[in-house]
Order: sequence, then C-alpha cells, then structure tokens
Amino acid sequence: MSVDTVPTVEDLTEICDQVWASYLDPEGLNPLLPVGPMAGIGEMFAAVSITGSWHGHVVVTCSANAARQAAAAFLVMEPEEVSGDDVADVLGELANIVGGNVKSMLPSGCFVSLPHVVTNPGASTRFPSAVQICELAGTWLDEPVSISMWQSNGDRAEVRAA
Amino acid sequence: MKILIADDSRVMRQIVTRTLRQAGFGDHDLVEAADGRQAYDLTLKEEPDLVISDWNMPEMTGVEVLRALRAKGNQVKFGFVTSECTAEMQQAAEAAGALFFIIKPFTAERFDEVFSPILG
Repeated sequence: MSVDTVPTVEDLTEICDQVWASYLDPEGLNPLLPVGPMAGIGEMFAAVSITGSWHGHVVVTCSANAARQAAAAFLVMEPEEVSGDDVADVLGELANIVGGNVKSMLPSGCFVSLPHVVTNPGASTRFPSAVQICELAGTWLDEPVSISMWQSNGDRAEVRAA
Repeated sequence: MKILIADDSRVMRQIVTRTLRQAGFGDHDLVEAADGRQAYDLTLKEEPDLVISDWNMPEMTGVEVLRALRAKGNQVKFGFVTSECTAEMQQAAEAAGALFFIIKPFTAERFDEVFSPILG
C-alpha cells in the first residue's frame, strides 16, 4: 500500500464526529474540541490491532473522568452510576468502532482484532514495534481524549522499500 | 416477534435495544447473546424471528454463525450491525444470506429504514 492510503487525522476526525453525534454528544452540546498533541494523558486506554495488508493499531486514550463520562453517555446514565465494567466495555467499543471504520479506508484484506482495554491509571502501555502516524487529540467536557493510529515498523519499512 | 441481539459488548447490546425502541420496535421480545457460539446456540434454542449480530465476536464471528445456521437448514432472518464495512465483507454477508448490513455508529433513522420492511 502507498503512504497516501493511510488514514489521516482528517479521516479520524470524520469518524469521531459520527461517534460523538451518535453516542457521546447526540444533542450537539459537547463536541470534541481539537487541541495539540497530548502526550502522557493515558489514564485509560483501549486499542484494536489491524493486521493483513496493513499492520498497526488504533488507540483510544483518555482521562479516567472522560472514560466515565463516555460510559455514562453510551448508557444514558449518570457518571456516578456506571461501573468499572461499563467503562471498560465502552472504551473497548470506542476503539472497535473507530478501528472498524479505519479498516474500511485501508486496502482490502485487513482484519480487526477484538479490543484490548487497560483501565489501571498506573499502567503503562507501549507499542515497541510501531510508531504513531496520526493523532486526533482534543478535550471533551474539559477532559483530555486522544484517538491515534500506530503503524508497525515492519509495515513502514515495506512501504519505503516498495 | 422475537429478536436475538448478538454482540460481545453488553453496552452495545443495550444501545441496539435502545435504538430499536427509539425506532418504534420496542414491543418485541428480546434475547441476548454475548458471543458467536451463544448466538448460534440460542438461535436454535429460542427460534427468534430475527437475529441482529455483530461481526467480530469471540468463539465464532457473526458470518460464521450465519453460515453454520444455514448449513443446518435454519433460515432465520439474519443481518449485521458492525463497525467494519468493506465491500468484501458485505459481499460475504450477502453470499451467506444476510438481509442487512448496518454500520456503527448508527441512528434510529437507520434502524427504522432497515427494520420497517422486516418487522412491520
């Protein structure tokens, strides 16, 4: 695949606009407000891996409070009513929805994994063989949220050699 | 009518249920399955009139469930609600006998459009 076919931050923005309109901000009152890169916000983390004709990860990272607010919005409940399982489920589903839509922009022959979720604020999550290729970082309800794409180094080497 | 909702995300099963209600289909009996194997087993056991299934689930994918049901002679109305949408997946779904393909995120309007002809 050529570098040109890799989804961009504009593509992530379009996908996230749909997610916010459907589940996180159906009234259109609390959109995701883009800001610059937000390194180190990762209290909560969910990712799906994409393999096949493209190799990498789609990652959703946010603060613990944003995750709780997201679960409340998905479930139409108050933030204090949602459980830890609700938060993990919603974070995983967010990664799944964004990842599934990203897949549709990639060359055919890709597969999306089931989501991997980390909700331990003290945990550290790394992708040692991948580099971030784009990030939509913003604030939602004054809380940090980041959606990013990571491409495996091997995949990038193949692209450069092509 | 009886509707089986298959998705490994409990939250997403709740959202599908809520969206069915918002689209005016709240009076049907609902059964839930948390993975593909459960979806297959419950379809045979509960004999729903319609199966609304995720694609990517543990144990069996949605299309594997559909193919297994058809191989067993089960002709339940079956379709997908999934975040993944490629031409090859839609072709695979149609070839297996799926009636519809709804992409997440979805709206009540989309549910109405798809399910009105099926549920009346």
